Amino acid sequence: MNRRKFLGLVGATAAVAAAGTSAHAAGNTHFTGHPEANAVLFDATECIGCRKCEDACNKVNELPKPDKPFDDLTVLDTKRRTTEKIYTVVNKYENSKNPNLPVFRKNQCNHCQEPACASACFVKAFKKTPEGAVVYDESLCVGCRYCMIACPWSIPAYEYDEPLTPRVMKCTMCHPRILEGKLPGCVEICPKEALKFGKRDELIKFARNRIEAYPDRYLDHIYGENEMGGTNWLYISGVPFGELGLEEGLGVTSAPELTSGALAAVPVVTGLWPVLLTGLYAIHKTREKIEKKEKDDAVSAALTKAASEAEAKLSSELEKADVANKRKIEVEVKKAVEEALLPKDDDDAPEEEA
Amino acid sequence: MKKGRFLLRWGAIVALLVTFSLTGIEAMGVVKQPVASGEQRADIIMIDTLKTFGKLEEAPVAFLHDQHTDALKKQGKDCTACHETEKDRLSTKFKRLKDVDMGTVKETYHANCIGCHKEMKSQGQETGPTDVSCRSCHSREVKASSNWKAISMNKSLHYRHIASDAIPKGSEEANCASCHHKFDEQSKKLIPAPGEEGACSYCHKEEATKDVQDIRSASHTSCVSCHVDVAAQKADSGPVTCQGCHSADMQAKVKVVKDVPRLKRNQPDAVLLTVADAKTLATDSKGLMKPVAFDHKAHEAFNDNCQACHHDAIASCATECHTVAGDKKGGFVKLEQAMHKPDSQRSCIGCHNERKAAKDCAGCHALIPEGRTSDQSCSSCHAEDAKLDGTAQIKSMSKEDKAAMATAMIEARKPAGIFKISEIPEKVLISDLVDTYEPAEFPHRKIVETMYAKVAKSELASAFHTSKGTFCQGCHHNSPASENPPRCASCHGKNFDATSNARPGLKAAFHQQCIGCHTAMELEKPAATACADCHKERK
Repeated sequence: MNRRKFLGLVGATAAVAAAGTSAHAAGNTHFTGHPEANAVLFDATECIGCRKCEDACNKVNELPKPDKPFDDLTVLDTKRRTTEKIYTVVNKYENSKNPNLPVFRKNQCNHCQEPACASACFVKAFKKTPEGAVVYDESLCVGCRYCMIACPWSIPAYEYDEPLTPRVMKCTMCHPRILEGKLPGCVEICPKEALKFGKRDELIKFARNRIEAYPDRYLDHIYGENEMGGTNWLYISGVPFGELGLEEGLGVTSAPELTSGALAAVPVVTGLWPVLLTGLYAIHKTREKIEKKEKDDAVSAALTKAASEAEAKLSSELEKADVANKRKIEVEVKKAVEEALLPKDDDDAPEEEA
Repeated sequence: MKKGRFLLRWGAIVALLVTFSLTGIEAMGVVKQPVASGEQRADIIMIDTLKTFGKLEEAPVAFLHDQHTDALKKQGKDCTACHETEKDRLSTKFKRLKDVDMGTVKETYHANCIGCHKEMKSQGQETGPTDVSCRSCHSREVKASSNWKAISMNKSLHYRHIASDAIPKGSEEANCASCHHKFDEQSKKLIPAPGEEGACSYCHKEEATKDVQDIRSASHTSCVSCHVDVAAQKADSGPVTCQGCHSADMQAKVKVVKDVPRLKRNQPDAVLLTVADAKTLATDSKGLMKPVAFDHKAHEAFNDNCQACHHDAIASCATECHTVAGDKKGGFVKLEQAMHKPDSQRSCIGCHNERKAAKDCAGCHALIPEGRTSDQSCSSCHAEDAKLDGTAQIKSMSKEDKAAMATAMIEARKPAGIFKISEIPEKVLISDLVDTYEPAEFPHRKIVETMYAKVAKSELASAFHTSKGTFCQGCHHNSPASENPPRCASCHGKNFDATSNARPGLKAAFHQQCIGCHTAMELEKPAATACADCHKERK
């Protein structure tokens, strides 16, 4: 692979990635809910904590009898959560506005417009109905309980003590009753209409008017209007929703919208990364190969050069040695000749020495 | 070599990314604020005097004033140990009368603070920092937290000053002039201002001007100086320490005089509130809102001091500041807003709303939407029977005429009361919804009598419950006041319906009315959840 090829590849990757995101954006238009969807509006300033809604829920859904009767209000002293046998609970909270007057909040499935449980369920056991309820089909459920992890309000509960046919249990907004034109059990029984049933958009309008009419009574916020992309159970209150045990930092993005980005990235990652990484590997390998060849060539060239140089040096040295030898011989010969020609007077010398 | 450079480059990129992400986190992280802990004090003075000369080089010094006063007292020293006297009054500045320049002021503090501390240490006394380490005093950590609370001169406190033996009582003028004065532009002197007395803050604002001290210096030089002098004469005197005036505990202990005689400052008993700014009167000759007869004398008794309404000046609201069109002087708050703003304590409606939140009134009023006005709302103040109509007549009236008219109108107001007790049904059986419970027997007359007893003496209630039926409308709402109001079921259907006027269903209408009123009035019995206390369970 050469530089040109590599750049081309990088360009192609970027193009595909960009195309991928735009496709994802187009495919995930802002969903504002089914137009005819129903909702329930809970008014925390009206709730008196009588637990009638719990009672009605239990009867309507034919749930097992609880340990303590519903008219025992001492259970409000502990914070309870929904279970596989209790679809809704009312909890008592301290009132930061008036310490003498506790506030209550009913807890149940909030029936998200784009439910996290449904998006997490890979067998589509959860379904958002156009009427507003999020319903569960036990015949499809495989019992993975991803829905329980996905739910931002920790609502779905599991029948752990059912060894053969365990189900995920949660409030159904009394969907069957709604289809019959009846009110949800809890709404029907509420003596103070702390729960109001109606079309979601109309309830939001109603809640806004109410907040405007009683600015000191309510906080200027409808919880559930936008939380997690909007829910079909809405709340208005005089104290911050956090004080009613409602998570306030959930944001306004629905769970599927939050995860779709990551999920849409999967094909990009699985499809492109191998190509990219192989490309990088190939470039790296080629570079290594070239480097090795260059090195080998250089070594052999160097060796050849060194050998020839050594040879040349040897021959010159030999030549030099030859000349020197010749001269030496000549000198020696000359010397010998001169000596031979000199007169003999060697006798004087030993006498002097003595 | 080539390979090394390649690695180095990637290494550098990774390192950069790591640094960016780390610094990014740091930048987003919440910087820890020094937490004030320990005791609560009202005498913490942050010495940051040098900021008038430029940016501070060191953190301001948290100075505990009363701690120093006490320490000096033990040595037999008084305020003059630290504060100099100017024209018989103590200066609020430390060891000087003027801030000459930065060097001098700095040296004044350093030499005198450390000097005194050192002197005390040499005498073996417990004292503050004596070292030359800056942080001993210029620390960002404040060991105590402040519970300083502003003190207001209310009627009771004002009367105690008037009645005090320490303040000359000979003539009214001398008595008032002990504190109240005005600045004479020509002589550049403070002169008595009989008949023009007002709150200190009308002239002494948050910030000092060339001629007028700021409210802080003015009140401290005047109040504390006088208290010190009076105390020196062994007479009963006011507080001289910070905590004495500015801690909530001490404020709660201040003696309160009940039934304070009415202040005398030539104020009217009754005022005809009209659109009083000249421009509007000149341009608009008719069609202005009808005037309101305002019972000034009664409202004096309802409030702590004049500032409750006359917040910035004693003059009439509409003449200069809150004109019909709004003026810069009045923060562009128009006359209509100044009188009706529901969330302002100074406006008529704002203050009345606050009164309506009291539990005796809240039973009905908590259920009535705030700021909602009915046809009768305007006319309960802007009286229909006022003979005046339009500005032309108002312009031609003298001040006395207006006052006389207002007095007449106020006198004409008679509490409407309620219908004859015998005409009020004694019991009402609520049986519209009999289902799991027996009909509720509603003790109608007893409830009316009990509720009326709570408000019968309220002047506010009698002024605004203008017809016999008004009181009934607390429950029998949204239909004209009448002796025979329609049944609840005439309007409230079976269930709530968000589309049709969003009225509660009948069951909720009953429960919201009964329980809502009991909750607002803080009645403990019957409990909201005690179903059988009102209607027996059906067996």
